[in-house]
Amino acid sequence: MSELLHVLVGQLARLGLNYSFLLESHASGKLLDGALTTLWLCLWSIVGSLLVGVLLAAAVTSARRWLQWPARAFIEVTRNTPTLVQLYCAFLVLNMLINQSLGNANPMTPFAWVVLVISLHKGAFHAEALRAGIEAVPAVTLEAASSLAFSRRQQLFQVQLPLAVRFALPALVNNLIDLVKMTAVASAIAVNDITYASIMIWTQGDNVIELMILILAFYGLLSFAVNCAGRAVEARLRMPGYGN
Amino acid sequence: MPSEPLIQLRDVHLAFADNPVLRGIDLDVHKGQAVSIIGPSGSGKSTILRCLTGLLRPQLGSIRIGQTQVDQLRGEAELIALRKQVGFVFQQYNLFPHLSVLENLLIAPTKVLGRNRNEAREQALALLDKVRLGHKAAAFPGELSGGQQQRVAIARALAMRPELILFDEVTSALDPEMVGEVLAVIRELTEEGMTCVLVTHEMRFAEEISDQVYFTEHGRIVEHGSAAQIFGDPVHERTRTFLQHALGQGGQRPSRPAPDVYRNLGRYSLSV
Ligand SMILES: Nc1ncnc2c1ncn2[C@@H]1O[C@H](COP(=O)(O)OP(=O)(O)OP(=O)(O)O)[C@@H](O)[C@H]1O
Ligand SMILES: [Mg+2]
Repeated sequence: MSELLHVLVGQLARLGLNYSFLLESHASGKLLDGALTTLWLCLWSIVGSLLVGVLLAAAVTSARRWLQWPARAFIEVTRNTPTLVQLYCAFLVLNMLINQSLGNANPMTPFAWVVLVISLHKGAFHAEALRAGIEAVPAVTLEAASSLAFSRRQQLFQVQLPLAVRFALPALVNNLIDLVKMTAVASAIAVNDITYASIMIWTQGDNVIELMILILAFYGLLSFAVNCAGRAVEARLRMPGYGN
Repeated sequence: MPSEPLIQLRDVHLAFADNPVLRGIDLDVHKGQAVSIIGPSGSGKSTILRCLTGLLRPQLGSIRIGQTQVDQLRGEAELIALRKQVGFVFQQYNLFPHLSVLENLLIAPTKVLGRNRNEAREQALALLDKVRLGHKAAAFPGELSGGQQQRVAIARALAMRPELILFDEVTSALDPEMVGEVLAVIRELTEEGMTCVLVTHEMRFAEEISDQVYFTEHGRIVEHGSAAQIFGDPVHERTRTFLQHALGQGGQRPSRPAPDVYRNLGRYSLSV
């Protein structure tokens, strides 16, 4: 493994790229840590945002005014303000307030704030995608279900949601790819993700270009993986011949 | 006629906002009968069927199916109990596009009636054979022709073993070649004694299979009677002109009718 790395670093040096920092345990350890942190950020926020999205979509499409209205307002505010600003607000304002009242008992770490803000932000986008999916389910298909004696609940879980998810899937995958890239905002509040780790390394050395290439490739690969996973789910849920 | 009708509508009124759609409908269907409702577009035919299965509630009048007073039903559980007895087949098939043909037939019997999956599966495959689609069990609705989808929809309704089936213009969305294959399935059902209420524009078919025919216009029953009477000797001028348009020029059969029409001529002694 380290043999291979040596060879690789040697080859890259011929191209004029100095990746020798990968051979130092300090820098490479930091980078690896950052990569792992980014992976965890992605995983948690994907799960979190999907949860938030489903709940918001349920609220927005609900017949109950008192659920519909606040959810709608939340989605609009969230969609129309920058994630970075939201993160600063959450971390600098909310976190400080919590600190003031709870002191050291504050359970929110910077990592948790990033997951929370991204989950809420992307959840708003998921909710819109899901709402479009729910509204695209033909009323007559639901009528067919109810004439087959399905209960409201069975209609929802057997027909409406399965179809809504299929309709919303391409937009959801799109949102998730965006989410992967969005995790870089974590560096703004000193969470040691891969972007922050790179910044720490290049401020101490002269390897900005090398690190840039490295982290761009890393985010690219992550997005690609999410894309592939999305495609796989789409293929699994495909409705052969639908819409022809 | 045997005593109590299975379906009985009395003076049923229904309006959408201030648009009166049903204005006093009386209708009887006895067990085992095939009853057709014919009439111009917008006359309220679909609305009658939707009232029968509780999708719409009349503002006035009484609807009874078997022991159930449909217009009095309260709450989801009671509607579900009714719909277990009443099958409905739609003009647009309305199959579940995310489920295979077999799953379309299995979902209601297993999830709603709680039937054993293996038994339900056997029955579903038998029903698919019956509508001559046994070889399509694994296909998805989107992969079938309109006529095939409609036959699946009929099999899906039958899988609930309903007391009666309502057909709402089930051939209207089909190419002429596919109409025959769907009508053949319905014909078979009526011959087996399934109670059927059909809204249809296929006059020839209605004439052939119906025990009773109701002609509706503007939310009223203009007249009803045996198929022979309605098609052969309608009382009302309006029925006469409607049938003239529906059947072709001047109330006469097309110049060269198919052989089965000659048979029908004898049966109903139509003047040509
Ligand atoms: N959900 C609804 N809301 C408002 N008006 C409706 C609704 N459904 C039907 N109508 C009106 O009720 C009238 C009767 O409709 P219905 O569908 O019963 O007619 P139909 O006899 O089945 O016609 P067709 O042969 O075209 O299917 C029409 O004028 C229609 O515009
Ligand atoms: Mg209709």
